[in-house]
Amino acid sequence: MLAEHHTFCDLDALIDQVHHLFTQWERDERFAPSLGVDDLHRLKLAVHEWLANLVQHAHFNGHDPVISLSVEVQDDGIQCTISDNSDGFNLDDELTLRSTSLESLPERGMGLLMLQACTKRLSYTRVQGSVQKLEFVVSTQDNPWLKIQFS
Amino acid sequence: MSLELKTHNEETVIVRIGKALDFRNASDFKAQCQEQVQEGARNFILDFSDTGILDSTGLGSIFSLYRQVSPLNGQVVFASVSRPVQVVVQLTRTYKVFRQFPSVEAAQDTLA
Repeated sequence: MLAEHHTFCDLDALIDQVHHLFTQWERDERFAPSLGVDDLHRLKLAVHEWLANLVQHAHFNGHDPVISLSVEVQDDGIQCTISDNSDGFNLDDELTLRSTSLESLPERGMGLLMLQACTKRLSYTRVQGSVQKLEFVVSTQDNPWLKIQFS
Repeated sequence: MSLELKTHNEETVIVRIGKALDFRNASDFKAQCQEQVQEGARNFILDFSDTGILDSTGLGSIFSLYRQVSPLNGQVVFASVSRPVQVVVQLTRTYKVFRQFPSVEAAQDTLA
């Protein structure tokens, strides 16, 4: 299976480093033809939203941050795993809270909902010790959308 | 990550978004646009030609601008929308709120 694995340790540089990876993948058509250009951009958006959440809100409890990104092409899309050594949180509870409290034309609170909207089989679990793992699939067959009130 | 604002006329401002509008520069976008509104701008043309990421915080800052200029009969429109931004527009159905133009010039002609 076509796959990529990368590890990052600098939160300040994380977003730029990951964007650079995606730029390379798009330029080199790394996952073509399994993954279309728009599928790759949807994957980038999902990864970005999660990493932005980590950068802004995660507590690493004195540990040096270690974040790993793995992507692997599958039959129906691309499987993505992002592990981190933060304290973690209950993603399902947070998604429920956000979806029930989203304002019209919201300024904040859309990030995790956008991540949820453009993925399937989304989960965030503690795997061992202080390592948390986010897993999801970006489908190549769906046309996902997030319902936002505009008035 | 620098934003470039250019005054087209006393009511219309062109904002060249650059590589990203995300959680790192959204507050800067909001502050600079707010300053323009205070100086009389009502219409904003957002040029996304080079933009590789528009994230939820960036989109939220555009919603904030829209809420600010709508009561003034102003508009926020998207121009030269890149593929990554188009993915966000489709995902959030924001084409219902923000008109899109193939180029900044086309947007200028319509808003003139």
